[in-house]
Amino acid sequence: MQPIISIRNVGKQFGAVHALDNVSFDVASGELHAVMGENGAGKSTLMKILSGVIRDFEGELRLRGEPVQFSSTRDAEHAGMSIIHQELNLVEQLSVAANIFLGRESRSWLGILSQRKMDDRAAALLAELDTNISPRALVSTLRVGDQQLVEIAKALSLQSDILIMDEPTSALTESEVTRLYRVIDKLRTRGVTILYISHKMNEVFRLADRITVLRDGKFVQTVNRTDTTPRAIAHMMVGRDLEPRNKHTTERAASVVLETRHLSLPWPGHSRGWRLKDVSLKLHRGEILGVAGLMGAGRTELLECIFGASDLPPQGEILIEGKLRRFSHPAQAMQSGVAMVTEDRKRLGLFAHMTVRENITVCALSDVSSVGVIGHGRETSAAMSQIKSMSVKTDGPEAMITTLSGGNQQKCIIGRCMLTNPKVLLLDDPTRGVDIGAKAELYLLMEQLASAGMAIVVTSSELPELLTVSDRILVLSEGVLTGEFSRSEATEQGIMEAATRAQV
Amino acid sequence: MVERVQPDEFVSSVQDGRSGPSTRSWTRLSDLTSVARGLPLKKIDNRCMNSSSPSFIRKLLSSVEFKLILAWLAVVVATILLDSGHTYWNKPGAAAELIIRQTVLLGLFALGSAVIIISGGIDLSSGSMIAMSATVFGALLIVVDPVGFKAGHVSAIAIIVATLGSILSGAMVGTLHAWLITCVGLPPFIATLATLVGLRSFSRGLTQAVMEGKSQIDFPDAGLRNIIKDVNYVSIVFVVLALATWFLMSRTVTGRHLHAMGGNEQAAKLSGIRTERLKWLAYVIGSVTASIVGIVYFADTSSAKPDTLARGYELNAIAASVIGGCSLQGGVGTIFGTVLGCLFLRTIIDAVNKIVGTGADVYEGMIVGIVVVLAVTFSQRGARTERRPFFGTLIGWAAIPVLSLLAGLSFMLFFREKEWFFIRPTMWPQFLPWFRGIYAVVFGIIVAGLLFVRGLIEVKQK
Repeated sequence: MQPIISIRNVGKQFGAVHALDNVSFDVASGELHAVMGENGAGKSTLMKILSGVIRDFEGELRLRGEPVQFSSTRDAEHAGMSIIHQELNLVEQLSVAANIFLGRESRSWLGILSQRKMDDRAAALLAELDTNISPRALVSTLRVGDQQLVEIAKALSLQSDILIMDEPTSALTESEVTRLYRVIDKLRTRGVTILYISHKMNEVFRLADRITVLRDGKFVQTVNRTDTTPRAIAHMMVGRDLEPRNKHTTERAASVVLETRHLSLPWPGHSRGWRLKDVSLKLHRGEILGVAGLMGAGRTELLECIFGASDLPPQGEILIEGKLRRFSHPAQAMQSGVAMVTEDRKRLGLFAHMTVRENITVCALSDVSSVGVIGHGRETSAAMSQIKSMSVKTDGPEAMITTLSGGNQQKCIIGRCMLTNPKVLLLDDPTRGVDIGAKAELYLLMEQLASAGMAIVVTSSELPELLTVSDRILVLSEGVLTGEFSRSEATEQGIMEAATRAQV
Repeated sequence: MVERVQPDEFVSSVQDGRSGPSTRSWTRLSDLTSVARGLPLKKIDNRCMNSSSPSFIRKLLSSVEFKLILAWLAVVVATILLDSGHTYWNKPGAAAELIIRQTVLLGLFALGSAVIIISGGIDLSSGSMIAMSATVFGALLIVVDPVGFKAGHVSAIAIIVATLGSILSGAMVGTLHAWLITCVGLPPFIATLATLVGLRSFSRGLTQAVMEGKSQIDFPDAGLRNIIKDVNYVSIVFVVLALATWFLMSRTVTGRHLHAMGGNEQAAKLSGIRTERLKWLAYVIGSVTASIVGIVYFADTSSAKPDTLARGYELNAIAASVIGGCSLQGGVGTIFGTVLGCLFLRTIIDAVNKIVGTGADVYEGMIVGIVVVLAVTFSQRGARTERRPFFGTLIGWAAIPVLSLLAGLSFMLFFREKEWFFIRPTMWPQFLPWFRGIYAVVFGIIVAGLLFVRGLIEVKQK
C-alpha cells in the first residue's frame, strides 16, 4: 500500500550542527505512528518540517505519493495535515468556537460574523469527541485537557486526515489521559492517520501500531509495536541500556527535619473554601518523600506554603528542625534552610537572558561577595562547583542558559538551590519536560543528595516516577491528605484510589 | 535588544541546534557516577578553558556598545564632510563642549531611566520630576533666604538646604512610585503616567504660591550660574554618577538582582530576592537623578519655568536607554551602553543641526524617532536567524508611499533655506516647467524607487 507520508533523506542544519541528518521513513495510511527519541533527538525539528514551520531543509517530503513543499502552516493544513503542539496555540480571551474557526470565520453575506452558525458547528465537532465543552466558554476558563480537545476539534474542522500530536499528555491528569485515548480511538475509526510524538513508553505501547526511533538527529529504526519491548526501544533511544535502579530499602531512623501541623491554605471565593486542609507531615533527614495527587490536588500549593511563596499566608504550623517558623517570603525560608525547585521552569525558574553562572549563583550571591560587591572569581568557582557536581553539559559557566537542554537547565536550578546549603529540598515536578536520559540522572542525583543527608520532598505528574524515587509517598486529594504509603506498600493502583477519593 | 520576543522558538531552536553528536553523549550516567566516586571530569574543564578567549572578541564585536561606537564615528565623519561650516574640523573644542554638555544633561537622568528599565519597569515622569526639582530648589531658596534671594546673592546655607531638599523630593517621588507599584499594585506605566501629569501641575501651583501669582521663578545669580556653566563641573558629577551606577549594576549583588528581577520577576521572588525593596531602589535612583538635573537646569537658566521645563525629556531618556541596548521587557542592558546611547543621540541631533543649519531643535523629535526605530530594528535583526521582509508584504507596499512622502517632505523642510534648493539644475530640459520643490520631489521618488526595488527583491527571495 502506498504510504500517506513519505519522508525521504530529510536533513536540517542549525549552524554547524545537524538537527536532522538524512532521515527517511514512511507513515502508512490510518496507522498511529509513534516517533520517539530523547530531547534534542530531532523530533520537534521533524514536526516543524512536516507542518510547514521550517521551510528550508534538505531532502524531500511526499504526501500521498506527491512531493510537497509547504510554504506555511496554512499550506500544510490545506493538505490535510494538522499539528497539535505541546504548548497549545489558543487565544485564551476568545471563546471555544471562535478559536476553532479562527481565521476561517463563517460570515453572512454582509461580512458580519455569524456567531450562531459557528457555535452550532463547534458544538457538533465537540460532540463527536464525546465532550460537553460549551462552544461559548472562554478558552481561559477551560482546563488544559479540555483546551487540547478544542485543538483537536479545530483539526477536525479542517478535515485533516493527518494529525501530528506533540507530547499531548504532558500536561494532562490521568483521567484526561484516558479520555484522550478514547478520542484517539475515535479518530482512528474515522481513518485519521496519527503521528504521535512522546517520551512516555506506556502510552506509546498502548497506542502505537509502529514506532520510529530517532537519536541525535538520525533515524535509528522503525519497528512494529508487537515485535518489540519498552526495554528495546529505550535502548534504541539512548544507545545503551538504562541501568535498572536498585531501590534503597534501608530504613533510616533519622531526625525529623521538617514538620507541618494542620497546615491549611484558604481559597476565598471557591466553593471548596481551601486549597489545603489539615495537612500534617513529617520529613526525616535523608528521606525522599513523594507527594502524589491529580492536577489541582494541592501538590504545588503544599510546597509553596512550606517555602513561604503562597499568595495567602497559610494557617497551621511549620517546624524546621523542631523550631516553629513562619515564612512570609521565600528569602526567609531559604535562610532557614529550605530550597525549592519550581514546577514551571521557564516561567518561575529560569533567567533566560542570563548565563549559566548567573543562573546558578543568583540565590547565593551574598556568599560570594563582600560588602555587596560580587567577587568574580569566587562566583565563577561556586558556579563551576555546581556544574561539576550536577554534571551539567555546558560550554562553560559563561554560556547562555537557553543554550542548554531542559534537563541541564533543571540541573542548574537544582545547583542554584544547593548553593544555599539547604536542609530541605522541595522539588516540584522536577523532571517535567526532561528527556529520559536526563531523568535517570536526576533520579540518581536525588538519591545521592538523600544519602548525603538531604531531606527531599518531590512531586510528580508521573506515578511510576514517584514509585521509583520515593522512600515514602503521601497522597493529596482536593487539598487533603488521603493516603500514606511506605515504599514497600506503594502500588500505582493504591495511590490512584487515594488520589481520587472524594471529600465528604 | 528585544530578542526575547519569541523565547519559546528561540529556546527550542537552540536546543535543536545543540543536538549534534559532538555535544551529546559524553556526560552520561557513567560520568555522574564517576563524580560520585570523586573522580574528576576533565572534559568540562577543557571546554571552559578553550571557549573563553575567542568568544570574548566575538562578544565584543557583536555588542551593542561596539556597534554604537562605530555608528557614532560614522556620524562624526559624515558631519565633518557634509557640514558646510566644517565646525567639527575647524572648532572641535567648542563643538565637543556643546555635545558633551547636552549628553551629560541627558545622561544624568537617562542613568536612572536605564536602571528602572533594566529592572523591568518604566519611568514616564522624569521630565516632570526635573521641572519639580527645579521648582523646589527655587522655592527653598526663597523660603530659607528671602532677603538674599531678592538681592541676587543667597547664602551658602540656603543653597545647601535647597540642594538637599530637591534631592529629597526626588527620593520621595521615587518612594511614591514604588508604593503605587508594589503596594497598590498599579502597572509602572500607569503609576508614572499619573506623576508625569501630576508633578508638573503641582510645580506650577507651587511656583504661583511662592512667586505671588507669577508662573516662573527667576533668580539672577551670576555666581551659581558660572559654576554650572563650566561644563567640567557637571561632567564630573555625571562621570562620578555614571561610574557609581555602572558599579552598582554590574559588580554588586543588588545590581545582579535588579537584572534578575527585570528578566523574570516571579523567578526572582522565588529565588529569595526581595523584589519590592529593589523596585523602591530603582525608582528612587530614577527620580533622584532627575532631581539633580533639575538643580542643574535651575542654576543654568537662573529660573524655573515648570510649565515648559524639560517637557517630554522622559521619552528622550527612554530612547537613549533603548538605543544603548536596554530592552523594555527588562533584564537586558548596560550602563555603558546607555551612556553611549545618550552620546550618539545628542551627536546625531547636533550633526543634523550643523548640516541643516537652521537652529532647529524643531527636528529633534524626528531624529530621535528615526534613530530609535533604526537602532532597535538593526539590533533585533542581528538576533534573529530568519529575516523578515520589510516591504514585500501588503502592509509593506502600503508603507512605501508613506515613507517616500515623509522622506521628500523632510528633505524640503531640512534644506528649504539653502541657496541651492532654489537653483534650477543645469541638466533640467528647457521645455519642462521648473518649480521650487523639485529636489524634494526627486528625492522622494528616488526613495520610493529604492524601497520598491527592495520589496521586489524580498518577494523574489521568498
